Amino acid sequence: MTRALTIAALALTVGACSKKAGDGAPGAAHATGTPQTIAVLDAWRSAGLTPEGFTPVSPPPFVATYCERGTVSGVEALVCEYADDGALDRGQQQIKDEHERTGVHTGVTLRTKRTLLSLVDREQRDPNGKTINQLVQAFRKL
Amino acid sequence: MRRIVTLILGAVLSFAAVSASAHGVVRYMSQHPLPRRAGGGFCYIDVPHVHDFGPSDPRMYRQVDGQYYFVGDPSPFEYQGPRYAYYGAHPVVEANVSFGQPVYCYLQGPHYHWYQPPPQATFELRGGAYWYTGSYEPAYYDQRPHYAAVNEAYAPMAYDRPIVDVALVPAGFHGELVGGGPGWRAHAVIGAPMAPPPPPVQVQVGVGINMGGPVMVGGGPAPVYVERHDHGHHEGWRNNGWREPPPPHGNWRGAPPPPHGNWRGAPPPPSGGGWRGAPPANHGGGWRGAPPKAAHGGGWKR
Repeated sequence: MTRALTIAALALTVGACSKKAGDGAPGAAHATGTPQTIAVLDAWRSAGLTPEGFTPVSPPPFVATYCERGTVSGVEALVCEYADDGALDRGQQQIKDEHERTGVHTGVTLRTKRTLLSLVDREQRDPNGKTINQLVQAFRKL
Repeated sequence: MRRIVTLILGAVLSFAAVSASAHGVVRYMSQHPLPRRAGGGFCYIDVPHVHDFGPSDPRMYRQVDGQYYFVGDPSPFEYQGPRYAYYGAHPVVEANVSFGQPVYCYLQGPHYHWYQPPPQATFELRGGAYWYTGSYEPAYYDQRPHYAAVNEAYAPMAYDRPIVDVALVPAGFHGELVGGGPGWRAHAVIGAPMAPPPPPVQVQVGVGINMGGPVMVGGGPAPVYVERHDHGHHEGWRNNGWREPPPPHGNWRGAPPPPHGNWRGAPPPPSGGGWRGAPPANHGGGWRGAPPKAAHGGGWKR
């Protein structure tokens, strides 16, 4: 029985790992009419950046419709898609409040249409903000 | 005793600043220098963002809606990016940054910013720099006493200022032409003794300045030109002092304007006023600028 459970867990893990970032969790719906997470990650790759470990966050935080979290060169990134502007406003404010509450070395919250980007550098991995600025510039072009 | 009190007060304020930044965040509107305690250098994030540290020198910032905006010259802070040369005070015209109120840069003389004036802004590119040729709003004069302190912040910094040919000052420029100042040095025109009886040495500073350029010593029939090139290693005049002392007659930066002249820091030339940036007649070389211009209007405007 234990062996069967282990195999099942392994199978689930392999399945999760083979899933391409940005594809979304099973059952998770992307927002429409706004850049989707996969487009954001592609834009970063086109800019020469390497997004790592992006996985859907379930349930989506910050009143979002869909979110993925990962890192780029040590900078934590959260990309969220929203169904409407009201939810986006609330989500953005919640993220800012969280930055305020927890304290971050560097934090950015930025929106393009109804897609929200939150970048956090907690450990000074990007001391002069050049990586963050690259991420921001690519995101703004979407 | 006063010094001890000042030191203690400074330590308390520093501790308070560090303590405040340890909780919560500090908001920045765009790029800015990084304080030494944050590693130094420059932050290149050009959108609103937060840090867990405050600015190293608030005199270089403007606070708008709780956000710090860096209004200074990024050059001394290991900044590596586009730079555009400006001369004198001007409105801050960075694209994508909206203040909702007029915000002015009060840096005197030649300096850099990372932004270029947008086409609709009233600037003129002459002599290697952008000059603001529009009118200053009342806010400019109201806020100048407070925000001109940015020049004091730059005074001890040694860095390359842009080379600007002030002989080409646009007619519409209403700002000040200053004869050297924080961290940079300019031409100084020094009048030599005339025939007996020798009058006191007269020093003119302010017009015809070129960074790193020569100091022109003259005024008599046989002017002597003293080259004073420092190859951009301009020394702060406040902390380091000039190689030569400031002129004795109060015609240096910070002195009151001459009572009748249209010149800052020096009496007007004998052949009619309005002499701006050009050499005195018949004095020949030592200037990079254009020949003297007949009339440019006043160089001193408040």
